[in-house]
Amino acid sequence: MHNTQLVQAVWGGVLFGSVYGLMALGLTLVWGAVRLLNLAHGAIFIVGAYAAYWVVASLHLPILVALPVGVLTAAAFATMMHVLFIRPVIGKRGFDNATLVATVGLSISVSAAALLIFNPQYKVVPPVLKGSNNVAGVEITYQGLLVIATSLALFALVYLFLTYTRQGMAIRAVSQQQEAASLMSIPVVRTYGVVIAISGALAGLAGVLLSPFYFLNPSSGFNPMIQALIVTIFGGLGSIRGALVAGYVLGIFESFVEVYFGVAWALPGVFLLIILMLIVRPNGLFGIGEVRRL
Amino acid sequence: MTTQPAAAPAAARIGVDVDAAPWRRVPLATVFGALFLGLLLPILLERFDIGEYLVTLLILFFMQAVVAQSWNLIMGYGGIYSFAQVALFAVGGWTTGVLAHSLGLNPYLAIIFAPVLATVAALLIGLPTLRLRGTYVVLMTLAFHELARVFAITGPRFISGGGYGLTIVPTFSTGGAVGTQRTIYLYYLAMLIFAVATFVIWRVIRSPLGLAATALRDSETYAVSRGINQFRVRLLLFAISAFFTGLAGGYLTHYEGGISTSVFDLSRLIDLLAMIVIGGWGTFMGPILGAGIVIGLDQALVGIGDYRALAEGLIVAVIAVFAPQGLWPTLRGVYDRYLGPEPQAAAEAVADTEPGAE
Repeated sequence: MHNTQLVQAVWGGVLFGSVYGLMALGLTLVWGAVRLLNLAHGAIFIVGAYAAYWVVASLHLPILVALPVGVLTAAAFATMMHVLFIRPVIGKRGFDNATLVATVGLSISVSAAALLIFNPQYKVVPPVLKGSNNVAGVEITYQGLLVIATSLALFALVYLFLTYTRQGMAIRAVSQQQEAASLMSIPVVRTYGVVIAISGALAGLAGVLLSPFYFLNPSSGFNPMIQALIVTIFGGLGSIRGALVAGYVLGIFESFVEVYFGVAWALPGVFLLIILMLIVRPNGLFGIGEVRRL
Repeated sequence: MTTQPAAAPAAARIGVDVDAAPWRRVPLATVFGALFLGLLLPILLERFDIGEYLVTLLILFFMQAVVAQSWNLIMGYGGIYSFAQVALFAVGGWTTGVLAHSLGLNPYLAIIFAPVLATVAALLIGLPTLRLRGTYVVLMTLAFHELARVFAITGPRFISGGGYGLTIVPTFSTGGAVGTQRTIYLYYLAMLIFAVATFVIWRVIRSPLGLAATALRDSETYAVSRGINQFRVRLLLFAISAFFTGLAGGYLTHYEGGISTSVFDLSRLIDLLAMIVIGGWGTFMGPILGAGIVIGLDQALVGIGDYRALAEGLIVAVIAVFAPQGLWPTLRGVYDRYLGPEPQAAAEAVADTEPGAE
């Protein structure tokens, strides 16, 4: 019995951690690179998830087809958001203001649209991998293992992309000094678009992979986004390494609180932890100053 | 206004020229005219068939305007991107609701605790976050919103009411008045809260505290280098804003006889945001105008139902990006151009050099 609880807590923690990491990766990438706090991240998440659901439920295609459709739809949606609402204010004085309000407005519109197109009932997106294994009385689902692996792989991939490719270097240059970057003939505005599209694809992937756990309804993007925001603060805004580590720290912490104290205390516990963190280390675990990001 | 002793010597030495400042004195006629109209309106409306309905709409308008104004005070003037507004409203509502419902306190007594507890909650969120960059405030306040929502649904039974919120909170006793008379009585109470909140917020905006907040918003580095204590200014502003938000929450809870967990729905947040953004971000009259527009449209377009949140979200996004100044400055410009008094030459010369006064 005791053993079961422990395994449950650890498994839940690692799984939550990967989930949070997956969500936080896109958020922290956009913040770090182009200083955009994308509060529509949760909306992009459900855009991807609903697209995949639609492909499975209406077109009766397997989830392996739906997965890329969901990811691409999410990336396309993010790009559309960039073109319509972000690009017009790049470099203007009220950038923070305008993008913050615009992304909030957009995310509420997406929820409302999802409510109209689909209905408020919970939708089930089938898992990519079915089946599970029983370890000490705890169901270890293969989908969960897939999420953990995907999350780790994506972190590695994004890191390699930013470090070694030309496009990645351009993104880092833009994140450090926009004027200098544009003098080196880096297309700054296009770089914004690329980063936002990548982040959208990551959110869409998270949406498709996580919906078997969370189920899907028009407001189910909000909670993962809040968790991702908490993770990004905890790890240090704009730090990819921070998002990875903080995802697991918070995931395991939350899971232990949940198993040993009850579900109701999970969020207050995390909240308390984050407040303590902000008092002790205001810039987060891997807090990087204003100058260097990513 | 508690900072006034600290900031007063500086203000006295510089000697603010009222005419040159980026605001104009509000004529007393306007203030008393509005007050008189507000007092007279329900008595006039009473004579019509739908009068009582219009009075209830006005009550709603007063409360929404208080919440929107409080939000605008920190978002528009203070540059603090707080999304805890709905949660603080709920803190106020739940405080007075639980006190009246579980402890049997008189609503008039219980409501006093609503703004107090909302202010305490705001200080708790503000203390760790307001020292940090703006983004942290967004994240922490959103997290607080979610925390409050989850706690209101899953918390102890006397708070959650089994997941629906408080459903049987005693309403204000009106000394035997019923029907329309009762509504009018409650209208005057709402108007009193609205008038006090509007006056205090107006005073705060025009006090050294408000000027300091605006300066911080427009150029943080410069304002700090001129000796403004950023943390203290922001915390005070946040507390004042939370006070009135909690008060509005308390009033509406007793007015409606309950507070449901659906206040945490995102559609409530977008309603409030729409009021500020449509009316005019960082203008005094903007949120009041916006509250009127949003509530009016809401009633006029009751048929579009579910499309409302969709449309509202898109409108907010479009205005935020393409017309960030909102409606009020436009109206004001038209008024000044065609109807207003001739601007004084001296005032205009100064206004040219005033940066970021939009």
